[in-house]
Amino acid sequence: MQDFLNFLVLGLTRGSMYALIALGYTLVYGVLQLINFAHSEVFMSGAFGSYLVVNLVAGDTFLPWYGVIGVLLLGMVSGGIVGAIVAYGLERVAYRPLRRRGAPKLAFLISAIGMSFFLSQLAGKMFNRQKNNFFPEYFDANKRIIEVNGVHVTLLQVIIIGSALAMMLFLDQLVSQTKLGRSIRGVAEDAPTAALMGIDIDRTIARTFIIGGALGGAAGFLFGTAFGFFNTMGFIPGVKAFAAAVLGGIGNIRGAMLGGLLLGVVEALVPSAPWGTSQSWIGLQWTDVVAFVVLVLVLVFRPSGILGERLGRAA
Amino acid sequence: MKRESELSVQLKRLGGCLALGFVLALMVGKHEGSQRDYGFAFRQAVFAPRIFVFLGIGVLIYLLIIFWPRVTPYLQRPGVRPLAAGALTVVAADALLRWTDSGQIEGGKLGAMSKAAADTGSLDFLTRAFFGSIVPGTPWILLAVVALLAAAAIVLDRGTLAWSAAALAVLVGLWGFYAQASVRSFLGAPDHSTGALASLLGYLTIACSAVVVARSDAEHADTRGFVDRLFSWRPGLPLVVLGFVTGLISLLVATWFSPSNAVDKVYDLGSRFAGSGVSALTTAYVSWLVYALFVACVAVAGAATYLRHKALGWVAIVLGTVSVILTLVVLHDFTAVAAAAGFDGASKPWKNLGVGGWLLCASFTMLAGAGWIAATHKRADDVVAADLVAGDSDHLATTSANFNKVLLFVVIAGALFYPPMATPFWQSVLVSQIGIYVLLAIGLNVVVGWAGLLDLGFIAFYAIGSYTTAYLVGALPVKPPEWLILPPLAAIPFAIVICLLAGVTLGAPTLRLRGDYLAIVTLGFGEIIRIAANNNPHGFTNGPRGAINIPHPSIDLGFFKFQWGLEALPYWYLLLVLICVIVLLFTRLENSRLGRSWAAIREDEVAAQATGINTTRVKLLAFAIGASTSGVAGVFFASQVGVISPDNFLLNNSILVVAYVVFGGMGSLPGAMAGAAVLTWLPEFLKDQVPAEDRQMWIGAVILLMMIFRPAGLIPAKRRKAELSGLEKPASAETTAVPAGEGM
Repeated sequence: MQDFLNFLVLGLTRGSMYALIALGYTLVYGVLQLINFAHSEVFMSGAFGSYLVVNLVAGDTFLPWYGVIGVLLLGMVSGGIVGAIVAYGLERVAYRPLRRRGAPKLAFLISAIGMSFFLSQLAGKMFNRQKNNFFPEYFDANKRIIEVNGVHVTLLQVIIIGSALAMMLFLDQLVSQTKLGRSIRGVAEDAPTAALMGIDIDRTIARTFIIGGALGGAAGFLFGTAFGFFNTMGFIPGVKAFAAAVLGGIGNIRGAMLGGLLLGVVEALVPSAPWGTSQSWIGLQWTDVVAFVVLVLVLVFRPSGILGERLGRAA
Repeated sequence: MKRESELSVQLKRLGGCLALGFVLALMVGKHEGSQRDYGFAFRQAVFAPRIFVFLGIGVLIYLLIIFWPRVTPYLQRPGVRPLAAGALTVVAADALLRWTDSGQIEGGKLGAMSKAAADTGSLDFLTRAFFGSIVPGTPWILLAVVALLAAAAIVLDRGTLAWSAAALAVLVGLWGFYAQASVRSFLGAPDHSTGALASLLGYLTIACSAVVVARSDAEHADTRGFVDRLFSWRPGLPLVVLGFVTGLISLLVATWFSPSNAVDKVYDLGSRFAGSGVSALTTAYVSWLVYALFVACVAVAGAATYLRHKALGWVAIVLGTVSVILTLVVLHDFTAVAAAAGFDGASKPWKNLGVGGWLLCASFTMLAGAGWIAATHKRADDVVAADLVAGDSDHLATTSANFNKVLLFVVIAGALFYPPMATPFWQSVLVSQIGIYVLLAIGLNVVVGWAGLLDLGFIAFYAIGSYTTAYLVGALPVKPPEWLILPPLAAIPFAIVICLLAGVTLGAPTLRLRGDYLAIVTLGFGEIIRIAANNNPHGFTNGPRGAINIPHPSIDLGFFKFQWGLEALPYWYLLLVLICVIVLLFTRLENSRLGRSWAAIREDEVAAQATGINTTRVKLLAFAIGASTSGVAGVFFASQVGVISPDNFLLNNSILVVAYVVFGGMGSLPGAMAGAAVLTWLPEFLKDQVPAEDRQMWIGAVILLMMIFRPAGLIPAKRRKAELSGLEKPASAETTAVPAGEGM
């Protein structure tokens, strides 16, 4: 049971990061009906931006627990800002010109793929191409263990799950309550009609990218703190988050949250079952296969995801 | 919505251009970040005087955007396009291409070569002057002078100026070519460089542009119309001219045979092989037959195209084909004799050949092609009669068809006879990169381009094809029963069947999903296959080590045996056969009932269903056909490389193949092939230009730019083109052109 809970916490941690990234995919899909393939690079840029800022601020000093929390908040904020800037630039460069030309749908996909190659390699050139950039030893958020009833939870995990939930709640409120959220939903529902109602479509799309980018950038910081920063770090979480968004019903905000959490939990629990024995039934090397098989099964029985699509209707 | 003020629009635009300059500054540069100092590359790129150059580029772009409306009318003038094309070609030749491939000069580009050549006293004066012994940077100054002169002729519309620009362009082009040739003979090493040739072509294009300026009275250019008129005056005649020029180069300048310390032209061969036991045919060939064949081919093909004579056209085809065969026989004969007689450095049959023989073969191929065009061309009266019925637009279609036919034969000649001329490095690139990915792109084009299904796991079928081959030849730990072990080429039908089945298995449950859902499911499928191969279930795939010792393909037809080995070149011809067969099948498919059904479901699935198309079945067929093509590529890959592992089948490759198809022009077969060829060639080309790790970055930028400025791709499909630009013709240029008398 304790092992089960340990794996569950692990899954929730990973899942909440997937959910944060998946929100970026789903928001953009809602307004444009396009998969933003370069979102993984927004995530990566946010991670790098926050890494540089945190390294600059925290330096080599030892941090007390409140200092660690402060640094984590700072990292999330700076990651969010960098992610938002990159996402905005992405929209201006890789999406808006194509929209003006009425390009076919796949052209957007390919321009985003081009942008994704470009950004990840530019980051590699500027930063480095190693795969082992971690925060220095003193930054021990990972090692502060809270033990409840034999279940090990690290401070980092608590912060990741907590802040992800907070951000998701915030986004949900933003989309359902504010004027901006209303315009986003309007564009998602029916862009030409929204334009007739006086909504500036280009601006709304840009803001949608910015929101998604901010969430992705913050997730990038959290992910990097746990697994390291490198220039291709966006690829795998990006694919997983895309799968999570589709799982929940792409274009549906609550669906993305649910899909992300579900995918994370499934990934953690299924390959390691039965929990607590040394011999698992499936084996950890099949993790990704399990994730995709679950996705396919869900899609075969519910072809538009668990909660169905449409940003407009669901939120 | 509030309107933005003019000032803020301009400021934003300027900001965008400066940001572009900034990003360029980050992209260009040798330095990279390191773990000790994350900001190193950034500081080197930004906090250095060179940042002002890039910001200056940004400002220039901004100015260009501002003044673009004033520039565009001049762009309609005759001669602008060839001038731009020519000048860009020369710039590319001077800046990017190699001028020698000898290792004696670092990198072999113009800059390094100029430095070396200008100070070499034993070169003659003209050569050293070109490379800047008098004024440093002479090639660039010459280019600037020629281009400015031609541009001035265009703007001012002066005949004398134009003629002098043309003359100067020809002179400079020849001068550069001569200079490179004398350096080449000074170095005395084999040379595959293209710089001097490209520069010559560029200058000749500039000269053409100047001649057009001098001769044309029109107010605005009609380049397309001019090209069409040129190619439809005597269909096939341009091909004869091209063949003639190629043949002349081959017979007069090119090297035919080069063992160590020798560069023999065709007229040297007679004396070298006198009495060494070559066959009578070879002796006759090198002494007179080659010239006779060449003259006869040119004469017959020329007469056939000029007189539009069908029978003569057939004669030209036969004569051209026979000449190609004779040339190949002779090439084989004398290289075999040289190897047997132990000439210094002569190793094997087909070795030590210069470009001459292959160039002549290409020339004969083009002449035969001209004959074919003449033999199959519709008579003029037929065309006129058809015109009367069909109206003007049909006539336009036939004229650009003439251009396409010429292009087709040039491509055939190039595909057959360019690879033997290339360096071994480029031969292996041609086979293991360009050729295989062209094959994959052709397959994916069916799924993505024609049926409109986004497949992000295409490489999985390639993997299945490869592993099927590995299993059937017995290279995996689990062996098939003894009677089933096959040679690699015999695995092709099995791979096709298994990939068909895999395509159907994947497709059947998932094809009712729409676009983006399908994309993630196929992506997942691709990953599942790769991970499964990596995880080695039941010891079947041998895990990350993969299959080793897959035999190379071989053919044994009793009378004809051939065994492929380690060399890349023979594989090219195998690949060419595969590609040709598949392309022929697919062009038949495109306009069949099935092809039209694909187009219908791509455009509107519901409407297609309403017209009675069984969408699931049709989509499944697209999936299965695409998958089996990929399987064929897999068989080829496995048996060429001999070693496969799961690392060959990454998700990234799947995404790249989709990018190739869309880059080339979704739904157009030539487009998909061109896209794959260009984007697989580019990384190898970029090796010479940028740090190797940065290549993907530049490719990403190229893909991005292509999609921004030409979203329909390199060679758009006809149907797609009509969708994007509308069916009506673009507005006439007349309304925007500056009258010729009112220049600056």
